[in-house]
Order: sequence, then structure tokens, then C-alpha cells
Amino acid sequence: MTLVQCLLLASALFSVGVYGLITRRQAVAMLLSIELMVNAANLALVAFAKYAGAPTQPLVLFTLAITVAEVAVGLALVMLLYRRYDDTLLDAASETKG
Amino acid sequence: MNDPIFLAALALFVPIAAALFLLVAAPVRHRGAPAAGVCVTASVVALAAAVRLVFVHAAQGDARWTTTWISAAGKPIAEVGLHLDGASVSMLAVVCLVALCVQVFSVAYMHDEPPRGYGRYFSFHALFLFSMNLFVLAPNLLQAFAGWELVGLTSYLLIGFYFAKPSAAKAAVKAFWMTKLADMGFLFGLLWLFVATGSFEWTTKLAPEVAVGVTLLFFLAVVGKSAQFPLHIWLPDAMEGPTPVSALLHAATMVAAGVFLVVRADPLFAQADATREVMLWIGSFTAVFAACLALVQRDIKKVLAYSTCSQLGYMVAALGAGSAFAGYFHLGTHAFFKALLFLAAGSVIHAVHSNDLADMGGLRKKMPLTTLTFVIGALSLAGIPGFAGFFSKDLVLATLEGRANWIPWAMLMGAAFLTAFYMGRVVCMTFFGALSHKAEHAHEAPLWMSGPLLVLAVPSVGAGFLGGWLAHSLGAHYETHVGLTPIVASTMAIAGLLGSIAIYGRRRDASVAGAIERLDKASMVDRAWELGYRRALLGVSGLLGWFDRYVIDGLMNFTGYTTIEAGAAVRGAQTGRMRHYLVAVVVGAVLLALMGLL
Repeated sequence: MTLVQCLLLASALFSVGVYGLITRRQAVAMLLSIELMVNAANLALVAFAKYAGAPTQPLVLFTLAITVAEVAVGLALVMLLYRRYDDTLLDAASETKG
Repeated sequence: MNDPIFLAALALFVPIAAALFLLVAAPVRHRGAPAAGVCVTASVVALAAAVRLVFVHAAQGDARWTTTWISAAGKPIAEVGLHLDGASVSMLAVVCLVALCVQVFSVAYMHDEPPRGYGRYFSFHALFLFSMNLFVLAPNLLQAFAGWELVGLTSYLLIGFYFAKPSAAKAAVKAFWMTKLADMGFLFGLLWLFVATGSFEWTTKLAPEVAVGVTLLFFLAVVGKSAQFPLHIWLPDAMEGPTPVSALLHAATMVAAGVFLVVRADPLFAQADATREVMLWIGSFTAVFAACLALVQRDIKKVLAYSTCSQLGYMVAALGAGSAFAGYFHLGTHAFFKALLFLAAGSVIHAVHSNDLADMGGLRKKMPLTTLTFVIGALSLAGIPGFAGFFSKDLVLATLEGRANWIPWAMLMGAAFLTAFYMGRVVCMTFFGALSHKAEHAHEAPLWMSGPLLVLAVPSVGAGFLGGWLAHSLGAHYETHVGLTPIVASTMAIAGLLGSIAIYGRRRDASVAGAIERLDKASMVDRAWELGYRRALLGVSGLLGWFDRYVIDGLMNFTGYTTIEAGAAVRGAQTGRMRHYLVAVVVGAVLLALMGLL
């Protein structure tokens, strides 16, 4: 695999994540989409390290750690959402409507 | 103790230290009597310093000390400091002496006040003494303006001392309004002067048209402060304040500040003949006009208030005739005998519990000391030869005698007759005749009150003989002479006194007295004038109100309304759905990326 191929794969993965984030209504599914996007970014970082010699590998480790924390917080938010609206559809929370 | 600057600083800063102490130390102020002690002590120190300063000045001559107040690149914009010459040193002594007498008098006069009011009263007095001294010692017009405004403030506070009484609160606001209106003249005059010359000095040389404009603006302030026609109407109302306040602020010192300003700024006024002409006419007219009004008042304090207007008219006329010394001399003697008259009137009011002349009468036997001192003050004010008022009034009249236009001279002569007449009327109605009902339980004032009366009676008689010395320290020329003016003036004074005694003496001649009191036309003029003023003021206020409500507020409301409408128009974009926001974020990010690519 070349750098370009790796990056194309990462872009595809990222696009799938964005698509999922916009189209899914389930909060959990949206969280998963975000995970896809983050991993696409990780993939790109690793590819840069491998083929272009950029010092981005430690960054990947940080990103992984942050992602874990983010998922923990995100799931807690989903729990709260469910408790409050009896639903995990994010559209239920629309108090900010103008 | 021979440093003149140190002495002047003492007279200036001890009173403000007392005032600040009373401001901060609320427990002392609220207990009343200790506050009076602090204030009177400060005044004693100030007076001692001022008197010592007179002698030091006589020996060492003028002195001046200044420090930069507002600094700027190049040269300072403004300075503050102490300016000691003949005028400021003697004025300082007069102010401190009268202030101390009035404060000592107040100790007994205000005794029935609750302690808090008592303390507040003396705090204001300490502040006033500082403000007045700040004005008197000013080395330039800017510091004078600061002092000028501060005495205006203390005047407002003291007129409204009984602020729970609606008429007093109203009078305080009226005095503040009228004098502030006039003070605009001072402010604009200062600005004009600074723009034209870059200086606030008393002795600046000006282009002729600037000189006229600036001095006319200053004179507007003088008209307000010194209660000249047509801005005199606040002074009679100011009598709502406690009587000692009327004696100090609204007779002896504060209202004379206007005259003192012109004396000080004489080098400026000397460059503006047109302004002096205006001053001459306004002063002469006020002297006669206010004397007529004094004739028909029933309130003893209002008689004295109009009399003050009238005497200030004399001073302004003298200044207009170009003799700063004559005006200043009359200011000095007037300060003594008018303060004396007011304090003696206060003593009477204290005894009778009424301001109305009709409630008084026959007090001669009950209050011999008050009678004696009041009569001395009245004779001095009337200008009976030998008393202080005679010399200074004579000098004012003599200044006008040689002029081509004799009308001001004649007006002031008429005013001299009226002065003697109304003072005779007050004396007869208060101290002679039958004992009135309210006067039955009157008794002589305590020593705290009669003491200041006796102290003030001395200069009321003798200050006239200091004319030569005062002229010397001001660098003016003065000599007494026998001529047309003194003879006519003393004839007028004696005729006025005899006339009033004939009408109001032992058995009050009801028919003539009634006719004179029915001369209320004059006060009708006053009332009509006031009504017109109110109309004009309300009209202008209404116009300004309309402009404010519909143009300025309208603009504001239009802005607010537009914002609300615009908000309503775009609020649909805010759906509250997370996905919509996400789409917006993605679209935005894609667009930014595209921009980066292109």
C-alpha cells in the first residue's frame, strides 16, 4: 500500500462516519459514527508516520486515550438523555429551538 | 509663624480637615455638640491665622505659591495654590471673622435641633468656610471656579437644611437652579478665555471683543451669585434656611463672592467698557428695585434679603463705574453690618418664634442688647454719618458723581432714601410701639448669641475708618471729602429714617402705613415675573421633553424594534435539532476545505 492509498481509505472511512453522524437518529449510532471518524484520523496519522517519516505515532496513542474518555462521557450523556426523555433519539432534545 | 503661605494654608486646610473629620467620624457628628466644638475650633484657628496674616502681609507684602494641577507637555494647563494680596488677605479675615461669629451664634440658636441635625449643620459650616477660603485665595480663575461651585453647593445644602419642610426643599432647589444657570456663564467664560489665551490668569491681556464676551459671561455668573436683577429671585426664597445661614451665606460672604470675583478680575473687566456699562445699569436698577420690594415685606428676614440684593446692587454699580475699590470697600462693611442685622433678627425670631413683623413690637424693653445691636446695624446700613455703611456707600456714590450720565447716581440716591426708610420701618415695628401678644414671653438671648452680636457691632460702627488702610493695601487711593454726594446722601438717609419714624413710630399711623403696604404692586411685579419665567422655563422644558421623547427616544426605540424584527426573521434557522447543526458544520468545513484548495 502506498501513502495515497492509505489516505484514500482514511477519507472513505471518515466520509462514512460523517454520513452516519448526519443520517442516524440514535444517539448510540451517532457515537459510533464519531468513533469511525476518529479512527480515520488515526489511520491517516499512522500512514504519515510509516510512509513519510512524520513523528505522529505518539499522537495516535494520545488520540486513542482521549477517544476512550470521550466515549465514556458520551455514553453517560446518552444515559442522561434516556432518563430525561425516555428515549435515545437525539431529536427529542430540542430545547434550543429558536 | 511669619510665613504668609503657611498662615494662609492653615486658614484653608484646618476647616476642610474639620469637615472631612466630621464626614468620616459619624459617631461624633451624630452626637451634635462635639461636632460644633470641632467646627468652631477649626474656625478659631482659621481666624487666628487670617488675622495674623493681615499683619504679616502688611509687613512683608504680597506672596504667591502655586503647584501644577493639570500637567501637560510643555506648560501646565492649570495650577492651584494661594494668592495673597491686599484683597484676598482682608477678605479672608472678614470671612473668617463673620463665619466664627455666625458659628458661635448658631451653637445657641440651633440648640433645639436633634443632635444629628446639629452635627450635620456644623459639618456643612466647616465645608463652607473651606470653600469660601479656597475661592478667596485662588491664584487663577480655575481654582476660583472650583471654590465658587463649592460655595454654591454648601448654599444648597444649608438652605435645604430643614429638608423635611417642602418649602425649604423647594427653595434649595430653586437657589441651586438659578445659580447653576448663571454659573454656565462662568464655565463658558473660562473656556473662551482658555481657548483665546491659553491661560486662566486674573490679569490676562485680551483682544477687545474677546474681553467683552468673556467678561459678559463672567458677569452672568455674578448676576446669579450676587442676586442681581433678573436672577435675584432665589435670594428671598433662600431665607428658608436657618437664620445664621442667611447671615453668613446669603448676606455677608457667599453672595458677595460675585462682587469679589469682579474685584479680582478687575484687569479683565478694565478691558471691557461695554460690560462695565451693563454692570452699572443692572447694579443701579437692582439697588432701587430691591429696595422697593424690601419696603413691603412682612417677613423680617425677607426685608433683609431684599436689602442684601439692593446693597449688592450698589457694589455692582461701583464696579461698573470702574472703581473696584469702592465696590470692595462696601462689600467689607456690608459683610459686618448685614451679618449683624441677620443675627440680631435671628435673636428676635428665636425669642418670638415668628418671622412676621406683625407678631413683633415693643421688644425694646425685653431685649435691650439685641435692640441696641440691631439699631447699630440698621443705622450703618442706612448710611448715617459716622457709621461704617456711610463711608463705603458714600464712596460708591462719589464714584458715580462725576459721570456724564447722572441717572445711576440719582437711582442710588433714591435707593439710599428707601434703605433708610425700610430699616426705620423694621426697627419701629420690631422694637418700638406696643408689646405684641407673641412678644410677651420674649427674653434676652443667651451670651452665646449676644456675644457675636456685640463683636459684630464694633466693625459695623468702626470699619469705615479702615478705608484708608484698606485702600493702601489694595494700592488704591482713598480720602474722605465734603462735597455734594456726602451731604445729599446723609440728608437722604436721615430723611428716610425720620419719614419712617413719623409713619411707624410710637403710634403706628394706620392710614399711611396701610397705603405703603398696599404698594404690593412691586411684589405683584415680582410674582408676575416669576410666573412668566416659569412659563418660559416650562415651555422650553416641554419642547426639550418632546424632542427627547420623540426624536432621541424614537431613534433608540427604532433601533431596538429593528433588532427584534430582524431576530424574529432569522430565528427559524435555529431548529434545536442536533443533526441540522451537524449538517451546517459539515457543509461549513467542506466549504472551508474547498477555499483552502482553491
